[in-house]
Amino acid sequence: MIVTRSRLQKIGWAAILTVCFAMLVALTFRVNAVKSEVRLIERKLVSVQQQKELLKTEFQTRASQRKLTALNDFEFGFKAPTPGQYLESERQLASLGKARAADAPAPIMVASAAREEESSFPALVNPLSGRAEASEVKPEKPRRVATTAGNLGARLSQVSATKRDTIHE
Amino acid sequence: MSAVAISTRTSSGRMQLVNVRQRMLHIAKWRLLLVAGGFAALAVASTARLAYLGVDGDAPAALSMAEALRPPRAEITDRHGVPLARALPTFALWFDARPMDGDPALVKSPQELARELMQIFPDENYDNLVSVLSAGKSAYIRHRVLPEEADKVQALGEAALQFPKEEERFYPQGTMAAFVLGYVDRNGNGLIGMEQVLDARLKDPAMRGQPVALSIDARVQGALEDELAKQIAASNAKGGGGIVLDVETGEVLAFASGPSFDPNRPSVLDANGSGLMHNVMTGQNYELGSVFKPLTVAAAIDAGLITDIAKRWPAGAQMVIAGRPVHDHKSYGSSLNVPEALIHSSNIVLAQIGEALGPQALSANLKSLGFFEKPYLELPGRRNPQLPREWSNITTTRVAFGHGISLTPLHLASAYAAMVNGGIWRPATLMKLSPDKAPQGRRVFKASTSARMRQLLRLIVSIGTGRKADAAGYRVGGKTGTAEIADEFGYHKDRVVSTFAAAFPMDAPRYVVVTTMVEPKATAATSGQRTAGYTAAPVIGKLIPRIGPLLGVMPDDGRDIDLTDLAPLVASGDGE
Repeated sequence: MIVTRSRLQKIGWAAILTVCFAMLVALTFRVNAVKSEVRLIERKLVSVQQQKELLKTEFQTRASQRKLTALNDFEFGFKAPTPGQYLESERQLASLGKARAADAPAPIMVASAAREEESSFPALVNPLSGRAEASEVKPEKPRRVATTAGNLGARLSQVSATKRDTIHE
Repeated sequence: MSAVAISTRTSSGRMQLVNVRQRMLHIAKWRLLLVAGGFAALAVASTARLAYLGVDGDAPAALSMAEALRPPRAEITDRHGVPLARALPTFALWFDARPMDGDPALVKSPQELARELMQIFPDENYDNLVSVLSAGKSAYIRHRVLPEEADKVQALGEAALQFPKEEERFYPQGTMAAFVLGYVDRNGNGLIGMEQVLDARLKDPAMRGQPVALSIDARVQGALEDELAKQIAASNAKGGGGIVLDVETGEVLAFASGPSFDPNRPSVLDANGSGLMHNVMTGQNYELGSVFKPLTVAAAIDAGLITDIAKRWPAGAQMVIAGRPVHDHKSYGSSLNVPEALIHSSNIVLAQIGEALGPQALSANLKSLGFFEKPYLELPGRRNPQLPREWSNITTTRVAFGHGISLTPLHLASAYAAMVNGGIWRPATLMKLSPDKAPQGRRVFKASTSARMRQLLRLIVSIGTGRKADAAGYRVGGKTGTAEIADEFGYHKDRVVSTFAAAFPMDAPRYVVVTTMVEPKATAATSGQRTAGYTAAPVIGKLIPRIGPLLGVMPDDGRDIDLTDLAPLVASGDGE
């Protein structure tokens, strides 16, 4: 059988068309499969979102004003702060660190001695780290020193350093 | 021959057999072809269907996430976005009474099942359960069933007990702000509070996704309700209410009335709702008594009647004014000036001021304070004020000290806000207002009058009848008022309404707080007194330190309104 050149060309075109069509169909199938997956994930997202909302509602219910008040009344007994506990301005804050006036009474110093604390109670286990309290390395407690103008800066930096540690933990 | 005959017979029989065989084969082939064709058609159809499903994208229901998460009813939040009412998907317990394959719907007897259900839901009524289960009609047994409870019911093995999913309205804060929010009935209609007012907005599909912010501050509301409940218990009162109002915008930051109800239990409310829903702050008129006096004084100062605050007015225990006797609690001397009259709460001096002011001036002033119409607030069920039938000299002298006119405590709160904020009256609102949307209001008092009134109110709290409201550092000012309850049988000496209207901080007022106690009793906790100074004022004294810092008012012992021009005019005193 003799195949002419033009006939061969036709067959070639037809083959290319068929392959293209097959690839198009395959691609369409693939696209739709991905679409379906996206939709399924979307559904999952919706359901998770709904669960989240439900949990939020539960938290809000458990932390309602009434319950918080009851908890405070029976457990902590916190009271509204008095005017003396507020500082109005930076000036008022700075006055706390002023040097003692010439005729001011000496600040009251409370002495304390370090004690080796031996307890008969079983060691408490830290719920976060899972280790016994005694085995935890505790940062050395800064000794209480009366605040004066000289050491105020040092003390403030100490507090912030302790806070930083807590945050890192 | 016979053999040939036989053979011929045999060969013709064979031929027939071959024919039959061929025919049968033919039929079999056709049948096979038919079956194969059928299978082929099926295969083509399934492939086509597969291709259609593969190409067409709508196989799983296409629902946008926003659509799926949109609640059936918009959320209501406080001014900082804390949800006060939201949608909660729950299960209900439904009894399907349709028989199963001819057998009755239930496997166990209704009594036995009811007993088992009682163990899961101890608050149910046994007789009710039995009657529902044996009625033969499908019905709800219970709404809002927890998943673990549903599991237990499932374990009972009754197919007739089903759990349809429902969208319920839920109030995470429980009874808090119940009168502000109201509740939603079984048909999904809002009732009583903002649920009713905003019903269309909350249901609107276009806006359901957006929460509605109220002017309420959940923390302030919680503190107010807590202090009110404690004081109602301490004074053995029938009820009580309170409001915290922003004097610059008219926004209500807290609005409470007790005893309250639980909007999370609509079935209970549907049954006997009206008995539980008495709104002290807007649903009832009271003769508020002495809290009215500063308003009369303000009207008199504003009208130019009181130019000299030190001017002395005749006083005593009793005096005839406008042809009728007026009594004071006791005699505070033969004459009193205005600050003294307010501190001792003298009816006699105020009646004289009212008489001098005249019916027209006083009534015009009260009208501009909104006392002649329902109080301004979105809530339904607000009461109309009860006004004197005619404004004669006699009624004016009575109204001047708070008698003969019945108002809701909300009327009073708005009026006090106008009195201390520089003289501008604004309607109260429960909707959060953006700073540029504060209503302009109308001027009722001059700014100078307002400044003088702030001094006088502060004086009453610092040395007068309102001392129990004097929260340290918050510069509280206000006035007490105790009035006997009046009904068709006249005044009742044994039943009073005590009110305290306060504002703070008096050097630059930002909030008005009004508390009302209905029928407080003299108890040990109220030092054996039932007057406002001992029943309504302590609520404010304890409330303001709790809410002040939350509202941006810091206590300061070293700051106060200047009272140097008034202080020499008064000695400390008592009264009501």
